[in-house]
Amino acid sequence: MGIGATFQIGQAGLKIYQVATEVVSENIANVNTEGYSRQRVILETAPPTNHNGFPLGTGVKISAVERYYDSLLQQQLVNADSTSGHDSLKSQVLSQIEPAFNEIANDGIGASITNFFDAWQDLTLNPSGIPERQAVLTQGQILADTFHTVSTSLTDAQSAQDVSLTTVTADVSATLKDIAQLNGQIKTTELVSGNANELRDRRDLLVRNLSEQVGITYTENADGTTDVKALGGQALVTGDTYATMYTSVVAPATTNSVFVTAVGNPPAATNPATDTNITATVGGANNSKGEIGALLELRDTTIPYYLGKVNTLAAQIVSDVNALHVSTGGRPTYDLNGAAGGAFFDAAGTTAASINLDANVLGVGGTSKIAASLTTSRGDNSNALALAKLANTTDATLGATFSSYYDSLVSEVGLAVKSTENQASQSEAFVNQLTNLRESNSGVSLDEELTTLLQYQRSYQASAKLITTATEMLDIALGMVG
Amino acid sequence: MRVTPNMSSQNALYNIQKNRAVLDKIQEQLASQQTINRPSDDPINTRYLLDMNDKFQAGTQYLSNLNKADTWLSFSETALTGMQEIMKQANSVVSAISGGSQDATELKNVASQLTELKKQLVDMGNTQYGDQYIFAGTDTNVPPFSVTGPPYDSATSNEATMDVEVRQNSNLTMNVLGKQILTADTAATQPYGNKNILSAMDSLITQLNSANPDFSVIRQNASDLEDGTEQITNAQSDVASKRKRVQTMVDLNTYNNNTLATLRDATLLADTYKLAIQQTSQQTALEATLSSTAKISQMSLLDYI
Repeated sequence: MGIGATFQIGQAGLKIYQVATEVVSENIANVNTEGYSRQRVILETAPPTNHNGFPLGTGVKISAVERYYDSLLQQQLVNADSTSGHDSLKSQVLSQIEPAFNEIANDGIGASITNFFDAWQDLTLNPSGIPERQAVLTQGQILADTFHTVSTSLTDAQSAQDVSLTTVTADVSATLKDIAQLNGQIKTTELVSGNANELRDRRDLLVRNLSEQVGITYTENADGTTDVKALGGQALVTGDTYATMYTSVVAPATTNSVFVTAVGNPPAATNPATDTNITATVGGANNSKGEIGALLELRDTTIPYYLGKVNTLAAQIVSDVNALHVSTGGRPTYDLNGAAGGAFFDAAGTTAASINLDANVLGVGGTSKIAASLTTSRGDNSNALALAKLANTTDATLGATFSSYYDSLVSEVGLAVKSTENQASQSEAFVNQLTNLRESNSGVSLDEELTTLLQYQRSYQASAKLITTATEMLDIALGMVG
Repeated sequence: MRVTPNMSSQNALYNIQKNRAVLDKIQEQLASQQTINRPSDDPINTRYLLDMNDKFQAGTQYLSNLNKADTWLSFSETALTGMQEIMKQANSVVSAISGGSQDATELKNVASQLTELKKQLVDMGNTQYGDQYIFAGTDTNVPPFSVTGPPYDSATSNEATMDVEVRQNSNLTMNVLGKQILTADTAATQPYGNKNILSAMDSLITQLNSANPDFSVIRQNASDLEDGTEQITNAQSDVASKRKRVQTMVDLNTYNNNTLATLRDATLLADTYKLAIQQTSQQTALEATLSSTAKISQMSLLDYI
């Protein structure tokens, strides 16, 4: 070992600090890149050699370029994103439904019910009056119309969720393909040389994005790849193979079911007959995971529940009003002309969508078909009075008066909106907290990079100085020879 | 904990958003002057609020019912007062001749006066409110009385009542029945008396017009007319007591509605002062966030190297 060794150490230093500076510049350049994890150069001493009986170092070498990555945090983020994706979508859709029930700001079903029975009250004071009868018909029509409006907005919201399923699954399939491709690239890159840090960062970001849309489980393999499974256990990505997730309407159902193909590169063409139907499991327990979970929950549970309640209310109003209005042997009712009372509401229309006045009272002279009397006397208001009193009668099926039942429903919707809003803001805060932790661990700090940069710059200068010093030493030695 | 500039900016954004959301809520409440603008703002109070609204609305409807029933009753009262006046006149002309000493011309004169009064009585009995005969029971489209008889009441004249709701599950009968007042002898129930005023008058007229009037019959008829007057007085006090009940019910419903309105306002209306203070403190918080964000994000090591 001679002066040449100093040259070598100095040269290695120059080269290595140049690389280190490159890593710093990569960090600085990617300070705002989503999903980027900062990298660092791991330096170690080059293998020592024995010289004059002493083990002497041969300078510095780069052992690896590592990224700061916390796999536990990634796992937590994936879970939190699934919950947050579900909660925020559900909250968003529910607040779109809420206006249909906003009885405080607008007159909806509640006001129509009150106005309808108030019209019957007015009729008791002038049972043969045509204006009063017309008012009863008009309010009945408005009541039916209001039910139609609410029913339409609920079913529209329901089918919007169904349509969204198709979009989201298509998006999921594209992401699955990207993840599989990155898996393949990572595997080949890492076979040849070190860590494919940037590729891993991109893949991990895709996994997090995927988990927002659909609940997943994933495992990190020794070869650098990540396998992704649906919550039902179906493989979505295995190594560089991937599955296609898609929706299809399978009779007799009229709404979309979610299917997944077997993994492949590329996967086999979609075929609902042979592919796995994962509608029941893809959203996790109670459809609580991912946007797909929220879509399924809203479509199959939440909206049908409200629709069911509104339908029950409509059905009870139709049957209770008709029970008093239609003439029966035990309780004859009479219209203005002394004829037996017919149906007021169409008996076939027993949902919020189909409630309607009966053809009996809709036709010409319909006003006189309203059965206000229990005798043939035109001034007999006793049936109008009985109908007006329905407003305060507890319906056996509803267990409440019509208005009270509806008021409870409004309050129930309000409560659901409020609690999902709270859940959404909580899971958002949780994701925010985890993102902060991830950022704290993996994020780029410019101040830090600048400090490191200065440090490496000084080291580079020192290595150069080594070489000039060695040159001078060599000159001295050569001078001695000369 | 290691802090990166991205963390600072993310946190700043998150906090600014939260501050803005609170400010927006306060602003909405101030603008609408309501603490509850949608059910999710306060689901439980929404339930109470809607219930109060329903009750308030019902109270308003009862007040409207009472108002209309009172108009109907005041028509009845006016008609009954008219009948009372007619009966007074009839009684005075009859008492003048019931001594039995009058000459035939005078008797005929009285008879023609009575005929006129009877016609007026029938007109009063056929009083209409709108197109409804108010004394006709539920046959409101048929005039209940006719000048000729017997029977003096129409074939369909009935004794059915017209009830209206004036408070939850509480009915008011708003009509008095002409049959029980003018032709009570054939009425199924006789709450005011049992005289047929119209037939008594007719019998008087027949006697007075006859060549040989039977004064015992005349005296009997005169006494019947006295009783008939009493009968109308009874009906008048019935109507008066009904109107009294209407007034009580109006007071009750009005009081009820006032209470409900007060409660509703207390639940729904925003406290402007409280909101203004909240807004000020929230504004300060937002300004502090904005100013600190602006200052901190400008700091960098780059400025010093």
